[in-house]
Amino acid sequence: MQVVNNIKYVCKKYSFLLKQLVSRDFKVKYKRSVLGVFWSLLYPVLTMAVMALVFTNVFKFTTPGVNYLAYLMSGLVMFNYFSEASNLAMSSVVANFSLINKVYMPKYIFPVSKCVFVGINFLLSLIPLYVILLATGTGVNLYHIFLPYAYVCLFLFTVGFSLILSSVAVFLRDMFYIYGVVISLWTYMTPIMYDIAIIDKPALLFIFKLNPLYWIVYFVRRIMLYNTIPEINAWIYCALVAIVAMVAGIVVFKKTQDKFIYYV
Amino acid sequence: MEHNYMVEVDNVSMRFNLGIEKGFSLKQWFVDIGSGKKKEKKDFWALTDVSFKVKKGEVIGFIGSNGAGKSTMLKVVAGVMNPTKGGVKSYGNICPMIELGAGFDSQLTARENIYLNGAIMGYSKEFIDSKFQEIVDFSELHDFLDVPVQNFSSGMVARLAFSVATVVDPEILIVDEILSVGDIAFQNKSEQKMLSMINGGTTVLFVSHSIEQIKKMCDTVVWLDHGHVKMIGGKEVCDEYMRTMMG
Repeated sequence: MQVVNNIKYVCKKYSFLLKQLVSRDFKVKYKRSVLGVFWSLLYPVLTMAVMALVFTNVFKFTTPGVNYLAYLMSGLVMFNYFSEASNLAMSSVVANFSLINKVYMPKYIFPVSKCVFVGINFLLSLIPLYVILLATGTGVNLYHIFLPYAYVCLFLFTVGFSLILSSVAVFLRDMFYIYGVVISLWTYMTPIMYDIAIIDKPALLFIFKLNPLYWIVYFVRRIMLYNTIPEINAWIYCALVAIVAMVAGIVVFKKTQDKFIYYV
Repeated sequence: MEHNYMVEVDNVSMRFNLGIEKGFSLKQWFVDIGSGKKKEKKDFWALTDVSFKVKKGEVIGFIGSNGAGKSTMLKVVAGVMNPTKGGVKSYGNICPMIELGAGFDSQLTARENIYLNGAIMGYSKEFIDSKFQEIVDFSELHDFLDVPVQNFSSGMVARLAFSVATVVDPEILIVDEILSVGDIAFQNKSEQKMLSMINGGTTVLFVSHSIEQIKKMCDTVVWLDHGHVKMIGGKEVCDEYMRTMMG
């Protein structure tokens, strides 16, 4: 009961700060750009167009049974949320050192605010995704009401992962470079632009399925592209991924946050 | 009154590891292996066994040379740092005025920054809404509300920051060397504001290099020297300090 009350108090006290930080990011992001918030809609489409151009013409990738554009876009939107949010969150604690050093506030608010900020962008990028789904004739079905489950799992996984990243980056600034490489490896390890069926070695397939993002993308695609409810194990994996990441993130961040101040 | 004291600082010691500043680097690691030298630990005690208590409504000033631990002391009380040893208790909401304007985003307008900085200081939205006019009036920046702060002069930024920070009626006010903001007129105004807060019963912890200011405002003076409390007492501490410093 004590814990619940505590969480309630913290949420109430810091929700305004969280809102302010998110709206700050939003205002700053599109300041002085002519198209402004339209970039949130346009950017994913353009990235998709470039990748589609390369992978269908040069590498001749195909996805049997489903439209390649819809396949690509559904994976990209999910993965881009993760990579953008975790990247911004990683540097958020270091970037706000001047504040942490002067005013008391919960330090987790910085990575969390980045995840929320990119989350709003993610919701906006669902609009072009649905446009693609409709335009390619993939269509929309009733099962789409289950999609928010995957989005919540993706969000929680990203927050947990970002908490770890942002605290590690304080102690090891090399993380900024390392993570750039990790993310590009991760992009290719996640079946975004190719069908996982092209991997024929069972051992490799096993490794690919250890990837938490694989399950979230899989869950979303079962519904969006294949018009079926995902199997029960996909539901469980998604939840597991979210819970494990959150618990690990909270533990790591809590253990290390008091030492941040010495590493300014 | 349930507590006799508003702030209780009990045997606080604060250690910084100066070696950490460089951090761990692969190059250094190889160099160290090559030379067979053991990495020596450079501990630096910014504060050692500092204890004092502050009564409600008391104004306590900290003096001492640069690097004596004054600002660290304030940060420990403000809760920004956890002390290595000892404990700090404070009863009441704290308003830390340590380097004002740290929370400003230079790309945002003054109006947006008032809300952002207010949120950072822990105010609620309703509170800022109700005090918005007061903040603007005090800062006298009516014509610049929708101008990005990056186009402000440093004096204007300081005015805005001071106005946001002091709009609240805190029970404990922590001030680190900020009375010299803005032009002479605003300096006067901000000093008046501080005095009226003090007279209103606010407990104040105050760091300044201006002995005049300390003498004028403080009931108790703590002289810190290399992290130790050298002397604690009334205004006579200032005189003693001056005598030592001037030789």
